[in-house]
Amino acid sequence: MSTDFTEAHDELRTVARDLLGKAPVRGSVVGVDWPSFAESGWLGLEVPEELDGAGATFAEVAVILREMGRAATLSPYLGTAVLGVGTLRALRAYAGRDELLRAAAAGLVRIAVALPTGDAAAAPAGEPIAPPYRVAPSAGAYHLSGRADFVPDAVDADQLLLLAADPGGEPVVVAVEPGHPGLAVAGQPVLDATRRFGTVTADGLVVDEGAVWRFPPATETGAGGAAGVRRLLDRGALAVACDSLGGAEAMLGRTVAYAGARQQFGRPIGSFQAVKHACADMAVQVAVGQELLEAAVTAVAAADPGAGVAVSRAKSYVCAAAVEIAGQAMQLHGGIGYAWESGVHVYLKRAALGRSLFGAPSAHRARIAARFV
Amino acid sequence: MGGVGAMTSSVADLDDLRATVRAWCRANIPAGWRAAQTGVPDEQYVAFQQEWFQQLRSAGYAVPHWPAEWGGGMSAAEQIVLYQELAAHDAPRLVLAFVSIHHAASTLLAAGTDEQRKRHLPAILDGEIWVQGFSEPEAGSDLASLRTTARAEGESFVVNGQKLWASGARYADWCLLLARTDPDAPKRRGISYFLMDMRTPGIDVRPIRNAVGESHFCEIFLNDVVIPAANLIGPRDAGWRVAQETLGAERGMTMLELAERLGNAGFRWLVEACSRPGPGGTRPIDDALVQDRLAALETEIVGLQALCRGLVERHDAGTVGPAEASIVKLYYSELLQRVMDFGVEIAGLAAHTQLTKAQSSGWESGAWVLDFIGSWEWTIPGGTSEIQRTIIGERGLGLPREPVAGG
Repeated sequence: MSTDFTEAHDELRTVARDLLGKAPVRGSVVGVDWPSFAESGWLGLEVPEELDGAGATFAEVAVILREMGRAATLSPYLGTAVLGVGTLRALRAYAGRDELLRAAAAGLVRIAVALPTGDAAAAPAGEPIAPPYRVAPSAGAYHLSGRADFVPDAVDADQLLLLAADPGGEPVVVAVEPGHPGLAVAGQPVLDATRRFGTVTADGLVVDEGAVWRFPPATETGAGGAAGVRRLLDRGALAVACDSLGGAEAMLGRTVAYAGARQQFGRPIGSFQAVKHACADMAVQVAVGQELLEAAVTAVAAADPGAGVAVSRAKSYVCAAAVEIAGQAMQLHGGIGYAWESGVHVYLKRAALGRSLFGAPSAHRARIAARFV
Repeated sequence: MGGVGAMTSSVADLDDLRATVRAWCRANIPAGWRAAQTGVPDEQYVAFQQEWFQQLRSAGYAVPHWPAEWGGGMSAAEQIVLYQELAAHDAPRLVLAFVSIHHAASTLLAAGTDEQRKRHLPAILDGEIWVQGFSEPEAGSDLASLRTTARAEGESFVVNGQKLWASGARYADWCLLLARTDPDAPKRRGISYFLMDMRTPGIDVRPIRNAVGESHFCEIFLNDVVIPAANLIGPRDAGWRVAQETLGAERGMTMLELAERLGNAGFRWLVEACSRPGPGGTRPIDDALVQDRLAALETEIVGLQALCRGLVERHDAGTVGPAEASIVKLYYSELLQRVMDFGVEIAGLAAHTQLTKAQSSGWESGAWVLDFIGSWEWTIPGGTSEIQRTIIGERGLGLPREPVAGG
């Protein structure tokens, strides 16, 4: 990596940490107001410059995601900037698509993408990934049916992108707005108060042909719709890993600060080996996780053909470690760590949810191991 | 040699270097060396090590981490390529020369006089073997409490005491020795660092058998051993500081080499062991739990390799964090142990019939049980895992020190 590149990331990180750190606290949950987001330029990092975006890559998005994890930020960034922009950019160039990218970059629209967000997202190479919806032409229009659960940021979205299979089994994306007849969006409350999910049901939903967007055909350089879907799911998995590493770093930092200040038996608890060594183990996990994450981010940003395995390594390691680290943080904070006001529970819940989102560690390890058998 | 001496290396240069090293490996790594080196007598092991060292030396691959003026000069990126290829081609390891080319050389380069460097660095290239005389029966993790004394007498020091866990002392020509020169100073301040000729009268070396049945570790008894004052390295009574400063410095590249070996032969054999049908005809690898553990271990090995490459690159850039070497040592040694443990579990009863292992191999020789037991040679020496965790906590994270009993 060039020095310029590293410096640009350092700057982005500093700005993000500053803004996210100042975000209003609602209860124990940190949220960022939408105008600040729109102004930040983070929403359009991956939107091409000709559509008023920054023309950057996933490497820059990863910097923001990690800082959001560190601050346990409540935001629709995953739905709009990671999945929304990622999905739109993976499609053929439709006029509606370009408009949407421009609006997303400007913060004028919030997007949710309905795709598999559970273990199906980590299906081993060669195993098809079934889109949650089916679309079929009928009397000059298209009929859509199906249902997706745990759709990130679905409830507040102004625009929904539904991943569907056409009659030939090819994945397509159907663009609809909430309130469209036959479409039902329902909130799915979860214990992690820093994330928002919804169920998106299509039943007897009819759209015209202009709302059905396709992936580019398979070429020598791109493998068509199936590969496009896989790359999207990898983006989702890696985004969660970035978030989890940021959360783990925050928990390590907070625990070290607390252990250095909290006195028991006449000395700081951090001077006891039992506490010190537990912190050291957290630091090792963070260091290893960071390496795996950087390798995966570099591979995804470069659209490396081996990116999938790198993502599965990062997702399985970092998201498992993040739960352990947040759990240790609660343990090492003692009684106060278990108290609601400490906020440690916010990170533990976020890490635990992240561990399952876009594939549990075991699902990602199964994908890794498919290469050995 | 392709790329040697370059400070920065373009991708094309590195590709060239990789091709050169690959071709060299194919032409020079003795075929079947593992089988030939299994169960051989010591003299044959030493001869094989010396021969392999000279082969590497003539290619410019023996001491790539040394400065160019002394025969090295590869950039970090080039060394990474070199060690990746040596590991990928399952080259024999430099075991006998390990302390010489790493610990002795880095100490000489960092703290030695010109005369000391001129005397020893070329000699190391010619095969001079070094041993580390640090630990003592009563000074293990608490190394600074060492009791071996060096009494000044005219232009010399007279040394008395006992060293322990000196690996390869039987074959050593020279010893890196820590001894107490000021018994009245606080324990870290009264230690001096010496270069000791192992042929000096009064030195008695006795091998001790370790847990895998080998005897490379030795006790060194020192009885009125006379060391010329010219063989002091660094200032008198500053030996502790000199040793601290020089020992961490060499860790990056040695760990990189070991990580690459674990990622090549080590993991490859593990997958092979898992793919072999057991007595009932079933293959462990068809079990989802086995697949899960393989994937977890591979992920951790990839993480270790990246950690080591990062450490080497940051070492070149002078930006290594205060606990990075400890993180890598701790992580490698415990991961090595987990990989070997799983190998023992998978290989089953048959693994226990493998009574010897190949000399000159890495810490993964394919003899699972011996390698598993041998992995404690990583979690205990060079600062136990517990000491590493304390260093990470205190130097890395800035946690408060433990109150020290007796200052």
